[in-house]
Amino acid sequence: MPTATIPALPLLEDYPEGSVLPVEGADQPTWIVRREVLSRLALELRDNPETQFDLMLDLCGVDYPDRDERFEAVYHLYSLPRGERLRLKVPLTEADPVLPSLIDVWSACDWFEREAWDMFGIRFEGHPNLRRLLTHEAFQGHPLRKDYDPARRWILTEDKIYRPDPQPPGGDTDDDIFERMTINIGPSHPAMHGTFRVVACLDGEIIVASEVEIGYLHRCFEKMSETHTWQQVIPYTDRLNYCSSFINNVAYCRGVEQLLGIEPPPKAVWARTILSEFSRIMDHCVCNGTTLVDTGALTNFWYMFQPREEIYGLLEACCGARLTVSACRIGGLLQELPPDFEARCRNLLETIPAFISDVDKLITKNRIWLDRSVGVAAISGEEAVNRGWTGPCLRAAGVAYDVRKAHPYDLYDTVDFEVPVFQGGDVNDRFRVRMAEIEQSLSIIRQLLDRGMPEGGFIVDDPHVALPPKEDAYTQMEAMIYHFKLIMDGIQVPPGELYSMVEGANGELGFYIISDGSGKPYRIKVRPPCFPLMATFSRLMNGGTLSDAIATLGGLNVIAGELER
Amino acid sequence: MIGESWVTTTVDKLEEWGQNNSLWPLPFGTACCAIEFMSVVSSHYDMARFGYEVVRFSPRQSDVMIVAGTITDKMGPTLKRIYEQMPDPKWVVSMGACACSGGFYRAYHVMQGIDEIVPVDVYVPGCPPTPEGLMYGILQLKEKIKRDTRRRLKEKRADSDDSGSAAA
Amino acid sequence: MAHPSTPQPYKYTLAERLYLPLLSGMWVTLRHFIGNVFGRRKSYTIQYPEERRGYSPRFRGHHILTSRPDGSLRCVACFLCATACPAECIHIEAGEHPDVNIEKYPVVYDIDMLRCVFCGYCVDACPEEAIIMSNNYDMAFFDRASSIVTKDELQKPFTYDPAQLGYRPRYPEEDAQRAQAREQVRAGTLDLVAEARRRHGEAQDTSAASAS
Repeated sequence: MPTATIPALPLLEDYPEGSVLPVEGADQPTWIVRREVLSRLALELRDNPETQFDLMLDLCGVDYPDRDERFEAVYHLYSLPRGERLRLKVPLTEADPVLPSLIDVWSACDWFEREAWDMFGIRFEGHPNLRRLLTHEAFQGHPLRKDYDPARRWILTEDKIYRPDPQPPGGDTDDDIFERMTINIGPSHPAMHGTFRVVACLDGEIIVASEVEIGYLHRCFEKMSETHTWQQVIPYTDRLNYCSSFINNVAYCRGVEQLLGIEPPPKAVWARTILSEFSRIMDHCVCNGTTLVDTGALTNFWYMFQPREEIYGLLEACCGARLTVSACRIGGLLQELPPDFEARCRNLLETIPAFISDVDKLITKNRIWLDRSVGVAAISGEEAVNRGWTGPCLRAAGVAYDVRKAHPYDLYDTVDFEVPVFQGGDVNDRFRVRMAEIEQSLSIIRQLLDRGMPEGGFIVDDPHVALPPKEDAYTQMEAMIYHFKLIMDGIQVPPGELYSMVEGANGELGFYIISDGSGKPYRIKVRPPCFPLMATFSRLMNGGTLSDAIATLGGLNVIAGELER
Repeated sequence: MIGESWVTTTVDKLEEWGQNNSLWPLPFGTACCAIEFMSVVSSHYDMARFGYEVVRFSPRQSDVMIVAGTITDKMGPTLKRIYEQMPDPKWVVSMGACACSGGFYRAYHVMQGIDEIVPVDVYVPGCPPTPEGLMYGILQLKEKIKRDTRRRLKEKRADSDDSGSAAA
Repeated sequence: MAHPSTPQPYKYTLAERLYLPLLSGMWVTLRHFIGNVFGRRKSYTIQYPEERRGYSPRFRGHHILTSRPDGSLRCVACFLCATACPAECIHIEAGEHPDVNIEKYPVVYDIDMLRCVFCGYCVDACPEEAIIMSNNYDMAFFDRASSIVTKDELQKPFTYDPAQLGYRPRYPEEDAQRAQAREQVRAGTLDLVAEARRRHGEAQDTSAASAS
């Protein structure tokens, strides 16, 4: 496991003794902070020119029933100018699990705090709307607490459904032309991608206030991962962002591999990088294709789905499933690559650009599209960072943050690629960033293919992590015993914790993994890249027309499986 | 007497033929399966070949609801309401492990199969099913409709025979 | 580094103001239209069920329980597949096999197809290559009871047709090696699975004893 050095910051000298304690030997700088000083410290960390932690990546709770201070709220911060990470842990007692809300420091905290309340019952003082976020209204208890039975369900009936009624600030006073109208969109609505519910207050065609309700696809990934072995979690990660499930596999496996202190063999790393880039292309195709459908340009959907079908073919040849691939294993890949892997990749490299260029010719300079998208739902880079955005949407707002460049993993430090950045921060620029990234991904794949497939195995040769080769298991006693042990007991991951991140298709995809050495994950928190995007959706919608809201949602590329887990 | 039953059964058969060959689907897509459902309606598989011509998002204009994706307890009331809004006769295809049984989410917020709240005609396993898998399920549904109509007609004929003999 | 505080939207060029690029877009659709109508290109549609898409030999479809040459199931009811299954959809009841070398066999081996997520973990876990997958995806059920597939149905339809095999630990080109390896095991009197299970049990007993 990588360990980080602890920065000795002069600003800590002003705090009372023991209120901020650095932790030794963590994977990234970690401080244990008393809640009394949290607000002050957070503000200072954001504004002090020596720290500049302007991006709040993730906030989650952890439950340790055996400790005196049972809960821990964990903040993951990132400083874009300095490229540094910091983890803050705030211990809380069960009797008084209250924290000051940090919405004023980082707006991104809004939904993250609601989630922590929902899952752990940590209350945030000063939060304007501390309602349940993911579970439903009839739900009792806080499901991610360790004493909550994973299968305990609560039935929601029609009369208990929450009915939002957003009202614009200032009330109804200046309203003499139009009557205000409140409309409900979703959850079963094609433009809401099937799982979001928006209640919008309309003044004519302009949305003046809105409320977003999510949780219709909360599948309890985090609780499920605590009840399965490390290896069994991989199929669950597929179903987080199901448009690019391979990247999720890689992100999770990388995290566990770092905890175990193993390196996957070069061939696995090479294939992971290539397939991740193909998945990124696929995800961008789906996103741009559906955005265009939502704005009325159906043709592009067919053109964009063609390369996607071809990439499915490649993934299926590698692992046997089209969509939910489960193609990685901890320590490598699930099987040897198919013999025609390189030929297929090259074939894809030749066919994909034609489809992309068709869409490019149809849309990029098309004034009808430009009129629908330029300046729509625009956001400044500053605000986007404050709201926790990452990925293509942030790059469309002029901030060049890409995990592949800032913290290279796998083979990204050995290939040449650019990070496309646009300045508009609107729907059009989000579209253009994705089109440009498809080009870059193709270039990365081409460079890696030119390098040739590395020799060697597809998974680490460590019988405590990877199943021994089948013929050994059939014939050798020792291999057979390892095989049995590994299946019955699972991989034994040493105790520790780690935040591992990759560049997902729509932003920084982080896995905060805690192991207690028991053979099952103690806690896995996914940092879903689209969570802060969706939290901003209400703000982006207000002031625009209803049809703009639909285009906006498409351009954000919010994937419900990942958003709600 | 014979003439009347001949007319009604023929009309019934015509109706069955019509129903069977122009089922309009309502995609109740929530998750991964919805992505595969998109593949089924797009060019590679083209479900329109079987009369699933128009994908309708309005329950009042559709005949068969294809539930594609996990249904959580939060979504349950919505699913039920949409089912109730569909006009009779209506069918439900449950696509994928999550909709059929909850799949591997034996969890606090996931419905363990949509048959808890709506009747299901065809279950299609898979996680997600391949597009062909779903199409196979849809072809099975057609068989089922045909079979059910035959049985209904048979029962009807038996009824009219009974009433005929009673009148005699 | 300060982040941009105001968005600068895209500026239209003169051609874009005049809707000129629309023409190139129209040419794209026209080109596709002509290509499709006058048969320059084959239609993309696969005429399922008459025509089938060729999936790879790794496709994860309906499971198969493989047999020994004498037709009995190769499965020795070791429960590894049921343990590895994240969906817990495999139900096994073990019974004593009349042949003492084999020791056990599954009296009941059911897979709940509606729970199964087709992840292939059972195939990876099997130490006997007794469960593999086929490339068959034609599955649909009218009720939940019929979705529980028993060992007879799992064994019957696909067993010896290599064209229908899917995800499995080894692939045809390596089949010969595997057969040889299996011959060696068969020649020896050692039953690896039973032995490993016994040793695993011993290890657990000792760890439990030391813990208490």
